[in-house]
Amino acid sequence: MEFPAALFPAYFGTGPPREGLGLAPAAGWGEHGQVLEAGLGRRQIETSFVPRRGGKGESWEPTDAAAVPLLPPNAGCLIPLLTPRDVIYRGIFHRKLRRVRSEATLDFTKQLSHFFVDHPEDAFGTLGQLLHQNFYLGNSSLGKQARECTIRMTALMEEIDRLDARRGCPQQYPVSRLRWFSHFCRDWLFEVPLGLLADNVHEELLLQWADLLFDDSLTGGALTWLPSEDMGAHMGCLVYPGGQSMNHLYFQDVVLEELPRAQGPPVHFELNGRIRQVAAACVDGEDFVGIRSDYHCGVWRVPGRMEAAPSPLQVIRTNVPASCLTVSPHLPGELAVCTQSGTLYLWNVETGLQRLRHDPHTMFFRDQSPWRWSDFTAHPRILSYADRTGLQCLDSRAPERCHFDLFKVGEEACCQQNERVMLPMYLGKAHPSQHLVTTQFSVYVLDERLPMVPLLKWEHMMKAPPLFACLIPGDPGRSHKVLLSTSRTQELLLLQYRGKMWGWGSQSACQLAGPPQKLHSITSCLQHLPTQLPHHHRLLQQRLGAPAAGLSAALHEDQIQESLLVFQLSEAGDVFCQRLTHEAMQPPQQLVPTSGDETPAAPGSSPLPAAALRYRHWLKAFSKGCGEHPQRPTFSQKRLFTRKELKYLVEPSALHQRARQQLHQAMQEGGCIQHWDILAAQTPPVPQPREPAEGPDTLSARLTAAWSGDWCHWWEERSSFNMVQRQRALRERRRRQKRARGRRSLSASFTSSLTYQSDLSDTGPSLPLSPSTLTLEPASSSPPSPVPDEALLSSQSLQCRGIPKERRKMLRDYLSVCVEGYPELLEPASSQPSIALSQSQPPIPSSQSQPSTQLSYSQTSSLPSRRKRPRMGF
Amino acid sequence: SYEHKVNFKKSKEACLSYIQDAMLQKQWERAAEFLTFYVESLEKDFSREHVNPSELIWRIGSEILCHHSQSSVKEFNSFIEQMKTLGVKRYLKVCLEHAFHLLCNGLIDEAYQNLALAESWRFGEQTTLQDKEMKLVQAYRGLLDYYRWSKQKNILLHSQDEFEDLSVEQEMHSCFRKAAVGLKEIIKIPGVWDLFVKCYVDLLEFYGDHNEARQVLNEYAYNSKFPANPNAHVYLYQFLKRHGESKKSLISVLKILHEIVPSHELMIEFNTMLQKSKKRKKRRLGLEVIFAALDYAGWKENVKAWSCLARQMKQIVVSEKHLDWIKQEWDTRKDWWPAFHFSHYLAKRNWQENESLSYEKALVAGILLGKDCKYFKYVSHRGCKAQVKKFRILKKFVNKQKLAYLRISG
Repeated sequence: MEFPAALFPAYFGTGPPREGLGLAPAAGWGEHGQVLEAGLGRRQIETSFVPRRGGKGESWEPTDAAAVPLLPPNAGCLIPLLTPRDVIYRGIFHRKLRRVRSEATLDFTKQLSHFFVDHPEDAFGTLGQLLHQNFYLGNSSLGKQARECTIRMTALMEEIDRLDARRGCPQQYPVSRLRWFSHFCRDWLFEVPLGLLADNVHEELLLQWADLLFDDSLTGGALTWLPSEDMGAHMGCLVYPGGQSMNHLYFQDVVLEELPRAQGPPVHFELNGRIRQVAAACVDGEDFVGIRSDYHCGVWRVPGRMEAAPSPLQVIRTNVPASCLTVSPHLPGELAVCTQSGTLYLWNVETGLQRLRHDPHTMFFRDQSPWRWSDFTAHPRILSYADRTGLQCLDSRAPERCHFDLFKVGEEACCQQNERVMLPMYLGKAHPSQHLVTTQFSVYVLDERLPMVPLLKWEHMMKAPPLFACLIPGDPGRSHKVLLSTSRTQELLLLQYRGKMWGWGSQSACQLAGPPQKLHSITSCLQHLPTQLPHHHRLLQQRLGAPAAGLSAALHEDQIQESLLVFQLSEAGDVFCQRLTHEAMQPPQQLVPTSGDETPAAPGSSPLPAAALRYRHWLKAFSKGCGEHPQRPTFSQKRLFTRKELKYLVEPSALHQRARQQLHQAMQEGGCIQHWDILAAQTPPVPQPREPAEGPDTLSARLTAAWSGDWCHWWEERSSFNMVQRQRALRERRRRQKRARGRRSLSASFTSSLTYQSDLSDTGPSLPLSPSTLTLEPASSSPPSPVPDEALLSSQSLQCRGIPKERRKMLRDYLSVCVEGYPELLEPASSQPSIALSQSQPPIPSSQSQPSTQLSYSQTSSLPSRRKRPRMGF
Repeated sequence: SYEHKVNFKKSKEACLSYIQDAMLQKQWERAAEFLTFYVESLEKDFSREHVNPSELIWRIGSEILCHHSQSSVKEFNSFIEQMKTLGVKRYLKVCLEHAFHLLCNGLIDEAYQNLALAESWRFGEQTTLQDKEMKLVQAYRGLLDYYRWSKQKNILLHSQDEFEDLSVEQEMHSCFRKAAVGLKEIIKIPGVWDLFVKCYVDLLEFYGDHNEARQVLNEYAYNSKFPANPNAHVYLYQFLKRHGESKKSLISVLKILHEIVPSHELMIEFNTMLQKSKKRKKRRLGLEVIFAALDYAGWKENVKAWSCLARQMKQIVVSEKHLDWIKQEWDTRKDWWPAFHFSHYLAKRNWQENESLSYEKALVAGILLGKDCKYFKYVSHRGCKAQVKKFRILKKFVNKQKLAYLRISG
């Protein structure tokens, strides 16, 4: 491509950026910038000039009054998005602070209290249930006896209520009872240590707030239009994310008509993370679609012909979140990936990853942001690499040596202070060596052949930094269209620029053509929807006002006219579109009243009937979705087992029946079951025992010891003596290991594990609760009982586990609370305790059992202590 | 009261956003209406806290007047004159923009008067920004003088009346002096001054001051304080070519251009120049230059470049000398050129769209990748089928040069 014969005049300085006005309200208006002689070298009677900005552009008029939904609402996504109101403190405190400095204060206490209220089980689960009996919530006063071990919470609640009412009162005095209570239980009541929890909540809150202020993970946008190769087909494929957490990838065929419509069901993939960016490029008639989520990037191939399904090619995983993924427009299956650690990879589907650059620091001056970006250039081996301070081009064949600066936030491009690069984009489809760079103030067009000096600069005046851009290349002699969109404010701007002058074949300097044009945002359709009930209206407002998450456009030509279809994706997963039609230049003589109120797009006008129908359908689907899930979902761990799993137990099999009968008989007789013959016949093959080779891990061993009351001893044992014994045990085990290969008897391992366990404590056998012993459960046994075994609750069994007497009641209370959660299940489960015991319990060394006893696995169930009096609950 | 002030400020901001909205939707009439409200509100605004909104009014007002259906140049001029008196700091900028507007509307004489007036403006000590703007004003005025001068020159060249010629010549000289003064200053400051440099060099050349012209062009191209502007090198090259400079100096200029912009369109000329050279080193450079140019996406379908490459490669292969040149160039490209240039898809498309391009490319592909290359196979097959003679010769040639392929790929 030719280089323009003359460029617009410009000063070139070096150094840091100048002090600027920041986001000035009208900075982009009323300037021509510079002028250049048009038709240089041509013989003309009078020289004519063209301006850098403010020239004539093409006229594109919106056909609808607002954006129209293209697809039904994203059904899964009904969790309301986070708003500043959720995390910012709004109280007297804030108002007081604002006078001093206008800094937002995070409402940390509210979030933490939300957490306690929404997830009490996670916050206080275990101890709350343990102490359940010791908190009294009734109104009547407690009896004298009960008062010893029970706290009356009602009074405490009243105090808290009163405290709430006094919020903001300058004269706050501490309530002694509350202070006492919080001092008393601050250290132990919480499941997670409070300090740690608070740290994490605060950290998360800060992150969320930063994301609310500016979320750069969405840069690039997650919406892409793949035009079909056959230009006459009026079809294409829209690629977008959806689902509850935007982790479903859809490839939807769309027919371009007056109002584009989806054709057939979309091809759908479920991915492992939230989709942040969808990038695509067409190489050799095939589309390559890159998908970026935080820790994974994937690439799909979409064959050029229609009806061919997209196929995933490769996925890579990153340790640090990826911040950029772009697809090469030159070579098939080549992509550029940047991570937040400042690394740039060239990713080829065939040859894998090549690291081109690794530098955690920014290029030109220091900036905190870990955001990095990369794109391709006119040379397939040269990539651009960007951070917030500028752009560099580097050669992938020698990335260390061959690179040059393309753009720098500084005096070179007449930048302002605090200006930062927001989104670079390769404009290869319009011109092979041009790039677009947006900052929060301006948009620049750059040429690789003339680095550092922008060909075009324009202050875009958008309220938020533009994060999405889309290029619609124009034919020779026509202007190129660029769409810019912001995320949070949903602003959408159409710019036109031209690299060639009217009627001239040769290349000329870049000019901005025509004034910029604002297109409809998604929210703008709110006023065209039928009137809603107030709360529905609010829901709708929230939904439509969700930040934009992607932008794409398609050019559509039919016989009559040319139209531009702009697609928008919101963070809630809804896809909207709008159509603009091109109006060919009218002869200037013909005076057409172009009063704003008469154009179809003027605010206040009503949508076309087809659009109105779309709105109605969309609204219907939306309100239906709302009805199904009226509240925000909560996550509970109450139900550990599915109904199906439990059902399996409910239906007693013949085996269970017989076992039950036998138990009944034994109980009535007061005797013991001598031969557990039903089981003997049916015993599953004894599994290869997994011995506690590593021993129980120290933590659980220590907890076990602590629970059984001889922690001191455990510690002594651990720290100093018993080396001889342990060595012996070890030797024994090794010997046995050699011998035991292929043998299916438990005996030896059992004895050794017993000796080992009994080493731990002298006073009584400890409870082997470590994971390694629990894995002894045979895999083929019935599913584990959802209910704690009744036998567990018997004082005998508790005693036999070495649990001190004073703790037995607490444990029993605790376990009974667990059981209460499943009242309907209690009965069938309780009818087969011994089966459960024999199969799902680890062999419990009782005080009566001797280490030397040789027991086969089937016999373990008939340990004397348990056989004697199986308890059936309380 | 405080609340009143806050409300007033808020309504002013709202008004501004309405203006912005209307402008972005091209509703200029509506925007104009809002702007009058805004100006009225400013008149009643006695608060001193806000900065001077004159820039805002100037920018918005001139934009609206540029697009408003009922505005005229006269109105625009009177608006801008008012704006000029509003702010001292912005005076030169407003003048410049005014001149630009007039120039774009073909009112060159008015623009000239405006610039001349702005040039004579003095106000206390100038800031650096004002200094820069003043230089620009002078340069543009000089540019307009240059256009006057070239107009006079044309009259002089085509006229017969000698008596008239004298006065024209005098006027022409005065234009020259003014133009030279205006243009000379700014091109010393680092920047992109393509237009000014061109005009200044044209003036100097006309009066035979070649040394000065060469110095100016050299400075513009090789001063490291200036941006790496490819046009600076192009102007120097064109100047040297016009004056019949030696091949050597032309080649040295283009070599530097090749180093900064390997994809410049002059590279074809450079290649042909080098290929004609007798020196091996230069011919070698020529091959490098054309290979490097074809690396770029913009050259993918450039028939001229492909035929240059094909010709030179054919020469090398036939003479069987310097096959290592091709090998060395190919080594850094063999992992990506096949997919970039010689895919089956491109073979099909090139054949359909541009037969001669596909011929040149097929020759290169046949030499570099052998006769089993997809591109060569497809194109030669199609060519032979279509009974085009040159494709049959091509096929024969490539089949014969198997050895060369083996040496390049091996």
